[in-house]
Amino acid sequence: MATEPADVLIVGAGATGGVVALRLAQAGFRVVCLEQGDWHDRSEYRGAELDWELTMRKQWATSPNVRALPEDYPIDESDTEVSPLMYSAVGGSMLIFAGAWPRMLPSDFRVRSLDGIADDWPLAYDELLPYYERSDRQFGVSGMGGDPAYPPGGEDPPLPPLPIGAGGLKVARAHARLGWHWWPEPNSILSVPYDGRHPCVQRGTCQQGCGEGAKASTDLTHWPKAIASGARLVTGARVRRLETKAAGLVTGATWLDRDGHEHFEPAKVVVLAANAIGTPRLLLLSASPAHPDGLANASGLVGRRLMMHPFANVGGLFDEDLESWQGQFGCSIESFEFYETDERRGFVRGAKWGLAPTFGPINAALPSRAGTRVWGPDHHLHVRSHLGRGANWGLFGEDLPDESNHITLSPTLTDSSGIPAPEVHYKVAENSRRLLDFHIERASESLREAGAHTVEVDRLMRYSGWHLLGTARMGDDPSTSVLDRWNRAHDVPNLYVVDGSCFVTSAGVNPTSSICAIALRAADHMVESRFNQQVPA
Amino acid sequence: MTAQSTPSATPSDPLPTLDPDRRATFTAIAAYLIPAAHGMPSAGDVIGDARLRFVLAVRPDLVEPLRAALRHELGTDPAARLARLEREEPDHHAALLLVVVGGYYTDADVRERLAYPGQEARPVVVWKVPPYVEEGLIDQVLARGPIWRDPATGRRAEPT
Repeated sequence: MATEPADVLIVGAGATGGVVALRLAQAGFRVVCLEQGDWHDRSEYRGAELDWELTMRKQWATSPNVRALPEDYPIDESDTEVSPLMYSAVGGSMLIFAGAWPRMLPSDFRVRSLDGIADDWPLAYDELLPYYERSDRQFGVSGMGGDPAYPPGGEDPPLPPLPIGAGGLKVARAHARLGWHWWPEPNSILSVPYDGRHPCVQRGTCQQGCGEGAKASTDLTHWPKAIASGARLVTGARVRRLETKAAGLVTGATWLDRDGHEHFEPAKVVVLAANAIGTPRLLLLSASPAHPDGLANASGLVGRRLMMHPFANVGGLFDEDLESWQGQFGCSIESFEFYETDERRGFVRGAKWGLAPTFGPINAALPSRAGTRVWGPDHHLHVRSHLGRGANWGLFGEDLPDESNHITLSPTLTDSSGIPAPEVHYKVAENSRRLLDFHIERASESLREAGAHTVEVDRLMRYSGWHLLGTARMGDDPSTSVLDRWNRAHDVPNLYVVDGSCFVTSAGVNPTSSICAIALRAADHMVESRFNQQVPA
Repeated sequence: MTAQSTPSATPSDPLPTLDPDRRATFTAIAAYLIPAAHGMPSAGDVIGDARLRFVLAVRPDLVEPLRAALRHELGTDPAARLARLEREEPDHHAALLLVVVGGYYTDADVRERLAYPGQEARPVVVWKVPPYVEEGLIDQVLARGPIWRDPATGRRAEPT
């Protein structure tokens, strides 16, 4: 047990925990991180094994409620239309994310100014650009510069683009005929050897752990370097609550080890990096007489404004064998053709499209996304028409913030340590439904132009809550935000939140690239302001 | 290493948990769902002890719901059994379907007939010009100009 307080205690060793730990440890901070999960060895991943489509539905499912591992915490989903997805481990949910790595666009930071709805961010695209570029180099991003969906200038992705596959090429040609935007998707997946890691082998099983180590996750990209720089990472450490002093400063965290023994880790500064479900859960668990509504919650917004990107899958079936079970599951190509607001469509904001592989024969028979099941003699025709012959547009619609979409603590459900589990209260907004309807029609048009003889739609996938955002938003006004523009809690000067909780609006893109860039910016600020940082006496 | 990823570490053979009656019922349902047709074999023939053992070893959580789905009192008609399970016991129904499909599509002969080699390692080639560049598809996107919305004007950005 530690006696000297850490300079910085980080809760969560996932994407942003790793980013912040590396920056601070290399700057000489004494960093301690508590992670409820464990390290995973790449040999554990099942992508190259015969059982991958069986284990992806249980042991390597993206839902903690389906996996139900001791290190997972359960989530009460009885009042949500979308299930939150995550993974507890060193590297966090990056172990099971797809690896798609698009950036937010300039308009995403100015939604109130441009569209008269939601809020503006306290920072702008240009301010974040240098952090995107540094983050891209740290994680190893493959892609092609010059995408006209983004402002010109800045660095190209550090590595060449990954292949777009036969399906991607068909759709790219279709978009050329339609005059629609497409571009090779940037992915945090290596196209060439980089930083001691192997390149992608196109196995298409990115979401069940990358056996090659080609897909970025901080257990590979950040934590080994952070530990070599002096950071201490404690696994199997489940934080029960943050402790505070009368002066309003946080003093550290009380946590439980795997055997249920309680510990206290003192710290001068605490950084929460536990995702937009876990972080508000912990802030609410840290209620005290001085903070009866939870820590850092004077605004009442802790746990509120949850955004999860309503997601639709539009799959096209082709006559040709495209071997579409192969390829990076990040995405092969993307389209921002209908991303920006056009009020004539009957909704505001838009969606980014990403074209993805289509799994193997078990998924062809029992689709986990769009599609049907066919039994009897025609089962064989059904599987042959699906296996390897599909191209899937995944549509991530911008989810507007709504305070009624929120996290609370369950009065009955607990994790394996007896700590109250989160309840998710989430409804899909009418704007999101209209947005998805429009984009589904356009994506269907894209696939038909590419030659698809059949288009199958999964309109609002329940297991699509990959992107957890907004439950401790940043802003300049303490009455309407939890964090300041540097990710520091307005109410608690030595508490930072660096995960997706800080998002003001959700944008319509996969957010990990932006989450990591913002976390890196926050870490830079911690280094630059270290001598002015208030700490407990 | 954690227990979740070590299916071979399952301590006991799950097959004896299926009595002969359940085993026969499973074969009948497998053949009903995936019969021999269109050059493909029947799942009733394909899913022998080895395949069934494989599925239940990697997914031991399916053993109990499978046993429930195969219980005697649900009758001998596969269609009626499946309809009732789907209606009244969806978790047991889902487990039964997954065991059938999992056993069938992990069979080497079935995969060969489908020309599905499994998820292969195929090295990425980056030293060739991609076909989409050679075909001028990127040039066409660039020629259409920027599509991002400039916050300063609220309109699509002008080409620079």
